[in-house]
Amino acid sequence: MYKFLLCWRYLRTRWIALASIISVTLGVATMIVVNAVMAGFTQEMQDRIRGILSDVSFEARSFNGFRDPEYHMREIEKIVGDEIEVMTPTVTVPAMLSFQLHGEWNTRPVQLIGVPRDAMEYASKFRQYLQHPKHREQFRFELQESGYDRRDRHGGDEAPLRVRMEMAGMVHRRNMIEYRRQWEKQLGAQPAPPGDTAKADSKPADDVVDPFAAAQVANPFDVADRPLDPFAARNDNAQADPAAPLTGCVLGIGLASYRHAGAEHFLVLPGDDIQLTFPTAGTPPKAVSDSFTVVDLYESKMTEYDSSFIFVPLDKLQELRGMFDRESGTTFVTSIQIKLKDESRGSIVRDKLQAAFPPHFYSVSTWRDKQGPLLAAVEMETAILNMLLFLIIAVAGFGILAIFFMIVVEKTKDIGILKSLGAHGSGIMGIFLSYGLSLGLVGAGAGMVLGLLFVRHINEIRIWLGQLTGQMVFDPSIYYFYEIPTSVNPWTVAWIVAGALAIAVAASVMPALRAARLHPVEALRYE
Amino acid sequence: MNKHRTANPAGPHGPTVAPLRSQARDGAGAHEHAAVATTVTTATGAAAQRARPSTSPDQEAAASAGGVLLKAVGLKKTYHKGKHEVPVLRGVDLEVRQGELMAVIGQSGSGKSTLLHLLATLDRPDEGEIWFNGQRIDNASTRQRDRLRNRQLGMIFQFYHLLPELTALENVLAPLMITHGFFSYRLQRRKLVERAKSLLETVGLAHRLKHRPRELSGGEMQRAAIARALITEPQILLADEPTGNLDGRTGQGIMELLRSLNTQSNLTIVMVTHDSAIASQADRVVQLVDGQVSDS
Repeated sequence: MYKFLLCWRYLRTRWIALASIISVTLGVATMIVVNAVMAGFTQEMQDRIRGILSDVSFEARSFNGFRDPEYHMREIEKIVGDEIEVMTPTVTVPAMLSFQLHGEWNTRPVQLIGVPRDAMEYASKFRQYLQHPKHREQFRFELQESGYDRRDRHGGDEAPLRVRMEMAGMVHRRNMIEYRRQWEKQLGAQPAPPGDTAKADSKPADDVVDPFAAAQVANPFDVADRPLDPFAARNDNAQADPAAPLTGCVLGIGLASYRHAGAEHFLVLPGDDIQLTFPTAGTPPKAVSDSFTVVDLYESKMTEYDSSFIFVPLDKLQELRGMFDRESGTTFVTSIQIKLKDESRGSIVRDKLQAAFPPHFYSVSTWRDKQGPLLAAVEMETAILNMLLFLIIAVAGFGILAIFFMIVVEKTKDIGILKSLGAHGSGIMGIFLSYGLSLGLVGAGAGMVLGLLFVRHINEIRIWLGQLTGQMVFDPSIYYFYEIPTSVNPWTVAWIVAGALAIAVAASVMPALRAARLHPVEALRYE
Repeated sequence: MNKHRTANPAGPHGPTVAPLRSQARDGAGAHEHAAVATTVTTATGAAAQRARPSTSPDQEAAASAGGVLLKAVGLKKTYHKGKHEVPVLRGVDLEVRQGELMAVIGQSGSGKSTLLHLLATLDRPDEGEIWFNGQRIDNASTRQRDRLRNRQLGMIFQFYHLLPELTALENVLAPLMITHGFFSYRLQRRKLVERAKSLLETVGLAHRLKHRPRELSGGEMQRAAIARALITEPQILLADEPTGNLDGRTGQGIMELLRSLNTQSNLTIVMVTHDSAIASQADRVVQLVDGQVSDS
């Protein structure tokens, strides 16, 4: 009983000891904040990666791909059918993107991905990256009249205005054609339809698009928009309208714009035509080119993806690359993207598939495998930061040690008195251990509250610090975040607090032992 | 002075104390017992071990003889200061009889405080034996000695040695807090606090319950220390210069308190002092000269 009473009295009368645990408080608070921010970053990044990458991808090692995706999908179904939510055959091929800017041709290397038009139904995460609100609901590679987002919608009002996006869409397309016609009239030349080879290629594109236009009529949501529907309009006088869009494609925002001073400056807008050049599937591969109309831009905020991927309809790409067999009517694809019911079972599915298909021809990987180095780097950073910060708490432990030795020396006589009253060494030790524990509890508890409060209000603090110092603390143009993402894991917090407590107790063990071993007579004589 | 509660027959030691009271100063039995003990003393360690099982007849003898409560045989203690050995006690034999107020007098450095510390089991002798209530205590385990100090020995000091963080009442309760664990103390708290209060009343400190030691005068602190020493109803009170730090009148007040505790409650008191005027108020005075009991 006396242990607790004395421990309590010492706590209340020795404020200097509380000073020693301020470092524990700060250490705990910092660790909580850093872990929350790092976890937030990681989670945000994983979300972005997973928005683009499927859980497991089953790929041919050759650009020519493999024959008959339906057969492969049936085989995969046989092996891991229970795990799979949906499978999508795709074609991935390196390509060159060319677009005209002020009369100059701009060419860039890209990764071209052909996806089935209906696969966009399942890719709900991917759809969220598109810039038109209607496309986020439903996307069929169609150009909208107008109404593309004018700001980064994750940034709110803080995001800079994307001025040119205001006119993106059919409006822009018509304007451009009109502008060009005027210009060519001035030159005395004949008006030409957009895209150099557009006239010849627009025919097959029409064939492909048509069934979906029909489907759209059945869609009650789109009935109201019908008059505006460019496809519907074109169905009536397809050949006559020079503004009729070609086959749709989706560009990464990093390809369509460049970033300067925190804002995007667009080179290509939805409604513009671009030209893509890529190898055919034959041997030796020959380069083929075709024009596409940009129908939307996607912004996943993963620069790596935003500046390299272009999505086009699968059937169009297969046709252009010659990835079909006229005799059997089967097609070729380069990969099958698999979405799992439970993402965490990705590596199990991967191993099963890899075992079932000859590895010479097929490679199977999870999204974690593909982004392994990036994720590992973030994990490594977190680990190192944690280690360094925990050292801070350990240093605080030495502070506690020193102050406790001081208190034991100061209390030597009291210890002698307690021993003369019959207190056992273990009891004396208990006083100082529970003292250390209480200090640890106060320090770690205050640190936890402080840390959690900081995490909760981190963005207000960021803004306030920015105003105070006149310096942008967290520049969205660098990080692509408008708010610092945070994620508090209760277990991490629990571990940090437990660690700090353990250090506080461990630091009080030595002084406590010394107190317990004091000789009563000598302690009583101590003045 | 009020009737003292500590040695009240209702206390745990009551039955032992009561029959002894009638023959408190019967010396004959004690002598006989001393003779037995001396033979044990002269024997070596092996003999000492043999003496252990014989504690219970010994205890009986002590009770029936009504004599020796605390006994020291051939105590030797040497302190080491660097390379020098400083012999403090050179073979002290001492007997404290049940119910007596004994004074040990000696010059500074004569070893009287060391003797008291040995008797109080705060330190261990280099040689010799200490018997308390028929049991050998100098070689008992640390835990047993802690227990003995807590429950059967009361101690007061020249510098009072109260805990500065606790109030007078809490200081008096401290030994009980050591005896009882957290829950057992909580359960009996009301009863124990009542006992401490009445004890403080006995020593004349009823109006100082909530005061910290630094708010008390020297005499008041010593009274609080006496109340603390008596709260566990010990069989013996060991006082180390109880008046040494007090002026004459206050010291005399403390002496009167000790004397009344001795006569009214039959409390055995061993008091160490260098003041012969104080010592003269004791039943018996033992003089310590150069670490040995002087026969004068």
